[in-house]
Amino acid sequence: MTVPGCERIAIADLTDYAAGELPEAEAAAIEEHLFSCPDCGARAAEFDALVRAMPSAVRSAEVGGFVTEAILNRLAREGVRVRTFALSPGAIVPCAVWDDDELMVLRLRGDLGGASEFTLTQRVAGTEVSRATSQIAAGPHGEIIYAEPAARIRQLPVVQVELVLTAHEGGEERAVGSYTLLHGGLLHR
Amino acid sequence: MPGPHLTIEAVSDEALARRIAGDPSGSTDAEEAELYRRFAPRVRMYGRRHLQDSAAADDLAQNVLLLTIERLRAGEVRRPEEIGSFILGTSRMMAHAERRVARRRDALAARFMEPAPGTAPTSSAALDAPRLAACLRALAGRDRLVVLLTFYAEREAPRIAEDLGVSPGAVRAIRHRAMARLRDCVLGGARP
Repeated sequence: MTVPGCERIAIADLTDYAAGELPEAEAAAIEEHLFSCPDCGARAAEFDALVRAMPSAVRSAEVGGFVTEAILNRLAREGVRVRTFALSPGAIVPCAVWDDDELMVLRLRGDLGGASEFTLTQRVAGTEVSRATSQIAAGPHGEIIYAEPAARIRQLPVVQVELVLTAHEGGEERAVGSYTLLHGGLLHR
Repeated sequence: MPGPHLTIEAVSDEALARRIAGDPSGSTDAEEAELYRRFAPRVRMYGRRHLQDSAAADDLAQNVLLLTIERLRAGEVRRPEEIGSFILGTSRMMAHAERRVARRRDALAARFMEPAPGTAPTSSAALDAPRLAACLRALAGRDRLVVLLTFYAEREAPRIAEDLGVSPGAVRAIRHRAMARLRDCVLGGARP
């Protein structure tokens, strides 16, 4: 949906404004225009709705993928129940989630080098079932953090999942480590 | 009440303000609700930027619009044709006061109180959260991470650049593109 009419304040301006990253004078100019222009005001309302809905969407714990400590910290502040597994290369770890867990977090260790782009591939019985790639730097503990909705894990049968983390560095791809999760199904308290 | 040929959504901001100011109290509920619908998101955006707290921004939007409506009813808004400027000025004044109170509250809390556990924001989401979650999942991993770090973890571009191993300028460019895609996906009905 686009708002017709005045295009003076584009979504890029609103993004920078909402992120708090505009110089004061530019921010003040945007504010003056926003409060007097119905078209740009309507565009701001759309943007505001997106930003307001984001915590609910993330708290629904359906948004997985590579994450950082900052995101885990906010989830923790909001009381999201997280089950964490720290894995070193070659690890074979029994893995299960409790019925009230909302998110499973994997802290993947290994020789991450100076890479800032990683791919995590998941395989079941040799067949690739998912692949995720992102630019992300290793955290302060030398880990790459990956999150999976616990609801998805609960649906898995008793199965062995092989995870392979690869690093992209200098135009080349290299294996960081392989980790095995032995999914034991749902646990009840 | 809206005129015979205009729905309330088509009435100008100035006309809304004049009706609230001029019509008998109690007969302008629709106009007041429309004024709130139009301006509350702008005041919330203003509040998030200046108060850096979503719940405080929600409160600011309510308080600013309540005061605006009271002032209109009392005939204290001299230029209804500039109602947007009045609302912006009120937002600035109330946000400034809120920052002062917050500073005092924080200073007292630091002296006398144990750290309080974090609480979930109370504001209700105006959009369908599952749809937004689906659209977030549909973004490329790096784009999703930049959006979440900005608007969920509330990190600034230089810190995000460190987290991702890219430049702050690249973070901004990624964020512009990702928010445009997210908006098209959520509001435009594009398939996630």
